[in-house]
Amino acid sequence: MPKHDAIVIGGGHNGLVCAAYLARAGRKVLVLERRERIGGAAVTEEVFPGFRFSVFSYVVSLLRPEIIRELELPRHGLHILPLESTLTPLPGGDYLAQWNDHDQNRRELARHSLRDAEAYDEFGLMLHQMARAVKPLLAMAPPDPASLSLRELGGLGRLGRYFRSLSKAHFNRLMKLLTMSSADFLDEWFETEALKATKSASGIIGTLAGPRSPGTAYVLLHHYMGELDGVFRAWGFARGGNGSVSAAIAAAARAAGAEIRCSAPVQNVVLRRGSARGVVLENGEEIEAKLVVSGADPRRTFLQLVGEKHLPAEFIESIRRFRFRGASAKVNLALGELPDLTCLPGRGPHLRGAISISPSVAYLERAYDDAKYGEPSREPYMDIVIPSLLDPQMAPPGKHVMSIFVQYAPYQVNGGWTDARRETLGETVVNTLSQYAPNLKKAILYRQVLTPADIERTVGLTEGNIFQGELTLQQMFFLRPVPAWAKYRTPLAGLYQCGAGTHPGGGVMGASGRNAALQILGRA
Amino acid sequence: MNRAIIIGGGVDALVAAQVLTRAGREVMVIESESAEPDDGWVPPWVLRELRIDDLHLEWPDPWLVIPLPDGGRLELWRDMARSAESIRRLSPRDAEHWPAFCERMARLARFLEAVYAAAPPDPLSPGFALRARRLGRQGLADLLRLLPMPVADLLDDWFETDALKGALGAAGILHLLQGPRSGGTAFRLLHHHISCPPGVFRPPRSNIRGLLRRLPRVELQGTEVLHILVRAGAVAGVVLKDGRELAAPVVVSSADPRRNLLELVEPGWLDPELARALRHVRRRGVAARLRLELDRSPGFSALALAPSLDYLERAYDDAKHGRLSRQPYVEVRCDERHRVEAVVQYTPYGVDCRDLSEKVIALLAEHWGDAQPQQAELSAPHELEKFEGWPEGQPHHAELALDQALWMRPLPELAHYRTPIEGLWLCGPAMHPGAGIAGASGLNCAHAILGR
Repeated sequence: MPKHDAIVIGGGHNGLVCAAYLARAGRKVLVLERRERIGGAAVTEEVFPGFRFSVFSYVVSLLRPEIIRELELPRHGLHILPLESTLTPLPGGDYLAQWNDHDQNRRELARHSLRDAEAYDEFGLMLHQMARAVKPLLAMAPPDPASLSLRELGGLGRLGRYFRSLSKAHFNRLMKLLTMSSADFLDEWFETEALKATKSASGIIGTLAGPRSPGTAYVLLHHYMGELDGVFRAWGFARGGNGSVSAAIAAAARAAGAEIRCSAPVQNVVLRRGSARGVVLENGEEIEAKLVVSGADPRRTFLQLVGEKHLPAEFIESIRRFRFRGASAKVNLALGELPDLTCLPGRGPHLRGAISISPSVAYLERAYDDAKYGEPSREPYMDIVIPSLLDPQMAPPGKHVMSIFVQYAPYQVNGGWTDARRETLGETVVNTLSQYAPNLKKAILYRQVLTPADIERTVGLTEGNIFQGELTLQQMFFLRPVPAWAKYRTPLAGLYQCGAGTHPGGGVMGASGRNAALQILGRA
Repeated sequence: MNRAIIIGGGVDALVAAQVLTRAGREVMVIESESAEPDDGWVPPWVLRELRIDDLHLEWPDPWLVIPLPDGGRLELWRDMARSAESIRRLSPRDAEHWPAFCERMARLARFLEAVYAAAPPDPLSPGFALRARRLGRQGLADLLRLLPMPVADLLDDWFETDALKGALGAAGILHLLQGPRSGGTAFRLLHHHISCPPGVFRPPRSNIRGLLRRLPRVELQGTEVLHILVRAGAVAGVVLKDGRELAAPVVVSSADPRRNLLELVEPGWLDPELARALRHVRRRGVAARLRLELDRSPGFSALALAPSLDYLERAYDDAKHGRLSRQPYVEVRCDERHRVEAVVQYTPYGVDCRDLSEKVIALLAEHWGDAQPQQAELSAPHELEKFEGWPEGQPHHAELALDQALWMRPLPELAHYRTPIEGLWLCGPAMHPGAGIAGASGLNCAHAILGR
């Protein structure tokens, strides 16, 4: 008899969530993490002495409230510090700020456009309704639309009934939102360029598409989902960086009896008579288990860990067609002093929020134009936070850490990613940002640049795609990652998937891990 | 009174007029002068209903010639095997994939064709779900995946030849302000594939309008409607340009819905929410039309300058930022009398197209040998708006994008041809299925009026 009921490959947040749920149900679970630390892309590392960074993912908001509740994450050390604002500096020296505080926000928007200030509340309400409409789908294992089994038909029937239970107006709006471009969608509401650009930027994050490409409006909604529960949880930092999200989930898993091993890279999944029966580590050690759950992305799972010869040709064909195309990079800066913004000089509350370099939709499109043809954006979109202002333990006293999400930096860059290319990207980011904060260059003590190739190499996300596969309509729900295999199962008995490459996809959300565990436990 | 007034002389309007006439209504068609030579494909169910059996379809063969950078030509024929031969010279692998690709696309097009034969489906109805399931596992997966996809991704899945991908990708972006890498463009390739035999991805032309005009019992007037009269929330008739008032309890309009409901109808009858939604119906014209005559045969009947997906995408990049494409996508048809009609994309609405004509002729001259062009006339989108009544130069009246298709065409509230104003009905290219499927929305609209 195998010692373990289940092996979870990969100690990213979804793997840990899955392990925690399985362990709480009394299963003996072993998590195997390739790196020396858990967390996957949700890690905190002291990259430079005294400076601690959320190296990859850097904010929390999408983490499902039911997971926080059921795994009692606050008891295991999770503490979220809210981000209060988003500031968009503009080239002419002006800025647009969006505040969580309603009245402050309205005053600021009215400065740019009275009409937009009027529309903002209604827009917020509408997105809120849409997010509510989508929310039940996040916790659902997508039924197989082509199956004739009663169980699947039942699932489809429930899905149909659910959509029919929405008001017609809501359903239609949701359908439009799924099929529109974020730029067109926002054009229907607002006229201020910087507002439209900053909002539509949520629609392109992680995807090699411009804000005018249909399908991006849904990604915008996906990123809005976090503002749903609680009074205004919005976007925030985990105290101690995003590694502490992983640490809290791991603590919950361990408390329930799960075992977590780091520096244990899996070589391949062991198959006996067509079912997964365990794994072999790179050092040759074989570990048996009744079932194997992979938190790695679909390409890695099926083409590397399993091997295509063990899978049906059609399935492999679909896996090959599942698209990744990482589009974003990360730059982490250790700063000797705070950036001094031309548009809002000095140390103000605006620095405690996000800073978005997205002056216009055309700016974002131009950034995308470069990437389409295999070049990093000459003037990239950036989403910037300074966590050390909210959480002093991230940097030495008086000093700061700055996290910069950069888009577009295409994985398929002309000539491939080299050290020189990486440094050029770093220069581009710093130069672009210096236009808005002239003291930045002299404030930089250290700089870390992570290209999509670096992200792939370090945390194993194929092509550096932060969602484990593009989050586009053709790769969502029924189709994520492959038609007929969207229910966390695979063509091999005993092999399951729990990563963001499954429904509902990426962001530090945890829903894939939870849904997979509930499927395995037969409780979905 | 059982009079019905039809606004517009397009195929949809004429089909609606015929159906209503045959149902015993007294029909009046009001149209301003416009003389387009021919129109697109007409679905067989429309022909059946009107008992038209002498439709002439103009279908060039090869249906497309694509000049190659090295001076050669890729020729796509109605005969799949012959196309494969031509493709094989560029890529044996693509030639091998061609029949399977054509077969799978044809299957999906047949499904869409069936959907287009009636008023837009209710996506949540069991009937629609059952019909979709009849596609089988692979067909259903193909459909769900294909609809929201960029046409570039679809073609990259199947082929490696730039010229082939350019030629097919162009069908995904024709008359749309999107590039082949934009989501939803694969759906358009499928849309324009409807009616075609497997392996043909350009719709034919037909003489349908001429045939419809010859049918009896329809009154035509060379005038224009100034207003649609509304009394107590119901249509009362129309006011013509010359000041005459015609009373009618039913008015069917094939003008674009935005103009129709926001300009022809007195403001105030519409719910402000609906008016706002209408103002956001996208209908951006992106193509100019070039017509000329050649003194001899150019050696092709259909030719496309779309050498690669990147070429098309770059052409779109210019348009996206409000400029004329420096290297436009050009698609040309030439008839037996050497009359040439070319679509030149992208030419955003309102952008100066003065030197474009010479430029395009220079591009094309490389491909038509010694033939000499005469009487070249280029119409920019704003001219097409003025002379053809295409809003912003957009021949589909409402861009055919996924969020403006099927039960959302042009808006969910208007998709069933009915408006909130009693007795006022909509047909035309902006209504489901519209956009090049000539006559179908007119038929569906007339059926809705007659309660069929």
